[in-house]
Amino acid sequence: MIRALLTFHLFAAFLSAARPVEFNRDVRPILSDKCLACHGADAKNKNIPLRLDVEAQAKADLGGRRAIVAGSPETSELIQRINTDSKARKMPPVFTGHSLTDAERKILTQWVAEGAKWQKHWSFITPERPALPVVSNPRWARNEIDHFILERLDREQLKPSAEATKDRLIRRVTLDLTGLPPTPKEVDEFIADKSPDAYGKVVNRLLANPRFGERMAMRWLDNARYADSNGYQYDGERIMWRWRDYVIESFNKNKPFDQFVVEQIAGDLIPNATVEQKMGTGFQRNHRANTELGIVAEEYNVEYVIDRVETNSAVFLGLTFGCARCHNHKYDPLTQKEMYQFYAYFNNVPEQGRAMKYGNSPPMISTPTREQQAQLTHLVHSINQTRSAIKVNAAQMKAWQASIPSDSIDYWHPSLDLKRKLSLENPDETRANGGRVEFVPGRIGKAVALNGTAYLDAGFNAANFDMEDRFTIALWAQSKKTPDGTLFSRMNDKPRGRGFALEARAGYIHVHFTSDYDDDAIRMTSKLPVLKPELWQHITLAYTGSRMAEGVHVYVDGKPIEFKVDLDNLYRPLNNGGKEFPEPLRIGSGGGPDRRFAGNIDEILIWSMTLPQDDIALLAQGQTLKQSDPQSRQIREAYLEAAAPQAQKQLWAKFIQLEQQREAFERSFPTVMIMAENPQRRDTHILIRGEYNKPGEKVEPGLPSFLPPMPPNTPNDRLGLAQWLVARDNPLTARVNINRVWQLLFGTGLVKTTEDFGSQGEYPSHPELLDWLATEFMDSKWDLKHMVRLIVTSAAYRQDSRTTPELLQKDPENRLLAHGPRLRLPAESIRDQALAAAGLLNEKLGGPSVKPYQPAGLWEEQSMQNMDYKQDHGADLYRRSLYMYWKRTIAPPMMTNFDASTRESCTVRESRTNTPLQALNLMNDVTFLEAGRQIGRRMLTEGGATDESRISYGTKLLLAREPSAKELAILKSSLNYHRDYFATNPGRIDTYLSKGESPQAPQLKASEQAAYMALASLMLNLDETVTKD
Amino acid sequence: MHPLLQTRRHFFKKSATGIGIAALSSLLNGEDQKEVHPKLPGLPHFAAKAKNVILLFQHGAPSQLDLFDWKPGLQARRGENLPDSIRRGQRLTGMSAFQESFPTAPTVFKFAQHGQSRAWFSELVPHMAKQADDLCFIKSLNTEAINHDPAVTFCQTGFQLAGRPSFGAWVSYGLGSENQNLPAYVVMVSQGGGNTQALADRAFGSGFLPTKYSGVKFRGGADPVLYLSDPDGYSRDARRRYLDDLAKLNEIQLENYQDPEIATRISQYEMAFRMQSSVPELSDLSKEPESTFELYGPDARKPGSYAANCILARRLVERGVRFVQLFHRGWDQHSNLPKEIRGQCKETDQPSAALVEDLKQRATLLHSLGVDHSKLTFKFQGRHYRLTDVKGHVVKPLLS
Repeated sequence: MIRALLTFHLFAAFLSAARPVEFNRDVRPILSDKCLACHGADAKNKNIPLRLDVEAQAKADLGGRRAIVAGSPETSELIQRINTDSKARKMPPVFTGHSLTDAERKILTQWVAEGAKWQKHWSFITPERPALPVVSNPRWARNEIDHFILERLDREQLKPSAEATKDRLIRRVTLDLTGLPPTPKEVDEFIADKSPDAYGKVVNRLLANPRFGERMAMRWLDNARYADSNGYQYDGERIMWRWRDYVIESFNKNKPFDQFVVEQIAGDLIPNATVEQKMGTGFQRNHRANTELGIVAEEYNVEYVIDRVETNSAVFLGLTFGCARCHNHKYDPLTQKEMYQFYAYFNNVPEQGRAMKYGNSPPMISTPTREQQAQLTHLVHSINQTRSAIKVNAAQMKAWQASIPSDSIDYWHPSLDLKRKLSLENPDETRANGGRVEFVPGRIGKAVALNGTAYLDAGFNAANFDMEDRFTIALWAQSKKTPDGTLFSRMNDKPRGRGFALEARAGYIHVHFTSDYDDDAIRMTSKLPVLKPELWQHITLAYTGSRMAEGVHVYVDGKPIEFKVDLDNLYRPLNNGGKEFPEPLRIGSGGGPDRRFAGNIDEILIWSMTLPQDDIALLAQGQTLKQSDPQSRQIREAYLEAAAPQAQKQLWAKFIQLEQQREAFERSFPTVMIMAENPQRRDTHILIRGEYNKPGEKVEPGLPSFLPPMPPNTPNDRLGLAQWLVARDNPLTARVNINRVWQLLFGTGLVKTTEDFGSQGEYPSHPELLDWLATEFMDSKWDLKHMVRLIVTSAAYRQDSRTTPELLQKDPENRLLAHGPRLRLPAESIRDQALAAAGLLNEKLGGPSVKPYQPAGLWEEQSMQNMDYKQDHGADLYRRSLYMYWKRTIAPPMMTNFDASTRESCTVRESRTNTPLQALNLMNDVTFLEAGRQIGRRMLTEGGATDESRISYGTKLLLAREPSAKELAILKSSLNYHRDYFATNPGRIDTYLSKGESPQAPQLKASEQAAYMALASLMLNLDETVTKD
Repeated sequence: MHPLLQTRRHFFKKSATGIGIAALSSLLNGEDQKEVHPKLPGLPHFAAKAKNVILLFQHGAPSQLDLFDWKPGLQARRGENLPDSIRRGQRLTGMSAFQESFPTAPTVFKFAQHGQSRAWFSELVPHMAKQADDLCFIKSLNTEAINHDPAVTFCQTGFQLAGRPSFGAWVSYGLGSENQNLPAYVVMVSQGGGNTQALADRAFGSGFLPTKYSGVKFRGGADPVLYLSDPDGYSRDARRRYLDDLAKLNEIQLENYQDPEIATRISQYEMAFRMQSSVPELSDLSKEPESTFELYGPDARKPGSYAANCILARRLVERGVRFVQLFHRGWDQHSNLPKEIRGQCKETDQPSAALVEDLKQRATLLHSLGVDHSKLTFKFQGRHYRLTDVKGHVVKPLLS
């Protein structure tokens, strides 16, 4: 394998130099990769007596034979068995497909001969700050990092490269820290700045640039498998961009990384958690979620928790805990039981296995943006001002109440968002259906008397609400017998109908919210028969639009009623498909002819908001204004509404209008799915063979025994887990995370296997450097910007990136860093750079995801219900790539062409390939053609008067340098070729220039523009353009 | 590895199904057999016996009971409740949990035996029936997954959760490409008239393998491969000149930096240029003789149809493309099965049979890819993953 070759390449020097064999560096990788699949932690389950992952067992006497006899290769069974020619005895057995190389056999033999010294796995030992090594040329070192790099180069008898030229350096560091190229001005200023800390100033400027947070977030989104859709079958939209923006902001304000980690895992459990802290736990909810009807919800509950286990163990610990889902880990000392103990920390979320088909699934919170928060504060201020400006003259008010005629039936109701007071007798509002109805004296004025066959039809406009709307419907009802039948509904008038209804059944109240009766509905029954015969009772249904039973409230005579929830499974709109609901509001009917109500109904009121309980209690008093207490709220409000002096009435109207505005505004706030804990901890069991329906032994939350215990006074919950991760003695978190920062800057981590620091992972190329960085990270109070600054200001980073055939031969992946990094840019930067150079880039920070250009039909040909991609226009076409709408099952093609992770699951390793599809993408995608057109325009309008100066300006925009004479000659020749081409083909100019929606430049000569556009396209396709060197 | 993939659909189980014809054929006569894929370190080299796979994936789960799996005993038990001896406590889903009964529904279509093998075919697939003796049915394949998305993921990657490489990606990784002008793994999607299910990119994705092993989607229409066509107003000559200049500039850079990635990029641009000719040439069916269209049926002239894609599949393997995968959507039949399945069969029966016939006429069907599974591995998250990391038995008689 690639890794194995490299390992030997890297460590060849150790062996040739006859250094003693070191277990962790030399022996463990062999045992792990070739032996532990059988002789590891899972050996017992395979009835294999020998274990090679535990020293005592590897050296134990197994019936007269010992695998390893320290100092005696001749009597060590292991050594005999790896060297035998007997097929029956040979280890590893042929059937495994594994075999040992001569070098590996030599190492094992030498190790046993030297005493078979065992070591705990390196990454499980808490890092200690190493001393700086002695190096050949201390003056080369700019900071501590360089001592470690140089010491290694010294050992390999290699020399570091010279520092890169200033133009290379500023381009490299700007792309690395912001994902964007430096502007020509920034390049010129840096070159002109001869001060010794010129480079340091650039770095500080970049670290302070908000683009830095975006750059760091790009990879964090991969780690967190962030997307704008749910994944799986339907792959509908979810709204998590507030979490994404929180990540950007956290990096920008340089939130201490330990604090950031705690928020990602357990922000909700921090005492008095802020919205921001809670929002952090969106990390745990970014996994795919299945909304398909035909799933077993419990199965997916398990998958979500497993996904969290895999993601958290990979991102924070660099371990593959998911491997122990079905059995003990085959390589690392993690038992299956310990896996499920870790799992238990993430298994107490009040979530449902089947996610919401549209939008976010609970638990979630409203997360207004800063702008919205400011607007809200402003609005609340206006509301308070208006309210305190309302002064009521008590004497006038008293006189007004006294003037109300004693036979008046006027009474108070909350005017806030009252949608309708239904008139029962006005045929324009309600008409009888299914027979005649009568009007009789009611609770307040006249009531409609229903005979059990006829009902009132209030039309399609009344109570036109769906599952995400807030509403309240209140009425008075009375029946001779125990009330039975539907009181009101917007539902098919047949059994098991679709829609919502409030129904009486022998005095019990049933509430339905039904999209599909069997499995897509909320259904609740009152615990007690609360409706009585003969009595006038006030009944209110108040719904919060939460799509959950917990958002459905029913009051009888102003008191909340307790319910038993029969089904809490509402996922699709009541009228799935989003059309106008085809059923009217029916009074006394719904659910079919058998469910008609016989009795009297009075005073139906409908609000498009969820009325609070105190309003409902007042309503249920059913007192007319004449009867009400003169000091009461209802008198004051009715007076202000109806009889106060004009100025007061206007203020009151304004107050009501502002309150409604606030309500609507608050409802427009984006939400984020977050973590929360069930009040009653959900049990966790070991799942036999990892299967959701095969629970085994019950387990409690706990940590693997091979890692340090919880710090003292830490709660044994997610918060404790998070604090344990960032505790000083945790051997992994700092190493794993700084290793990924290294990977981001150098392309490969010091541990190449960024996803696996376990025994199958690669031994670090520079173990002491990794420990130095990890301890520095912790000692700096997890100051990420400090760490990035240290790395990019090191001499190692600042080296020229040119290599030589000899160096390529010796170190093809540049792991030893005898030269600077030279790597193809990440997908996001390739596009962002083109937009920036074109002057098109919209630098807006954060906000909902956008849909830039994408070839037509991609979504339609693969998605359910032919979901189509509605491309945005205008400035949204030019947002940074990390704001691109990410549909998990059909990702943006340009991103996947350039190796972006799919966001289906957690990705921590960066990948770079080099394919013809990338070439086609850069040559022919409208994004890059349009960028070419605009770069061409800039060359013509900003690049001076000659072809030479214009071409130079173009290379300055994209490469941060002037072209060499040879390059200039080729570029000029290409320009002239295209001039001729368009001169010969004038009919093609306009079509060629038509690419993209950004404005054309009619003032420029079209043929010149086309020639420059072609040249710019060529420049965008240069290897150097898509590479940081 | 078995070339014929067919999954069995259990009662009330929904699984996306590869019913299928996979023809492994040696069709490279006259083709350039030079290896262009850089040999992967540590991997065996298989250039000598070049082979190809065509996988026709009927997406949405066709009902085998109405196509190939004759169940005579069911007929007498129409409407009877599913006995416990069959259901054996199988879990119910949100879709079936509230169902009051589970009546047995035998096929409404006529079945007959065909060929020397006396294999059963329903009247819906008369053309396939004529190929009876060149088809092999595996009726034991099934998935644990009861929903479309995970089941398709399982069929395509061997694991029901996202993250593993697809079948074609493995083959592409292990064997590389035999054609310098075309990708190693080509995917085509056609739309059936029936109820459709979603098809995720991961079904032909590279999972944890590098993305270059992903299936490359060939689409009906002007741009058969994304971004293939040069912009309007830009000629082939101009593109040639453009690439020459680009190469010159990249070579200066290569000389300066000595980075082999630059050399690779230069060659990838050349391959892109060749694809710009080879793909349209390949997709252009106008030179196919009339007999081809007669064989594949009336839809074959419609670009993007399943029938047209079947012809393209043959043309792709003729040109040495390793792995060709067709997805035909629209097989998610529920209560509308009797009506919709006719349409789906009409779209696929004749072209599928035609492809077998066509390949028979052109080459010998071979039955082995010659891959040493134990060596075709990729290490990820500390594990050596293999293409054949799937539970079950290799159907050896089929391979020999």
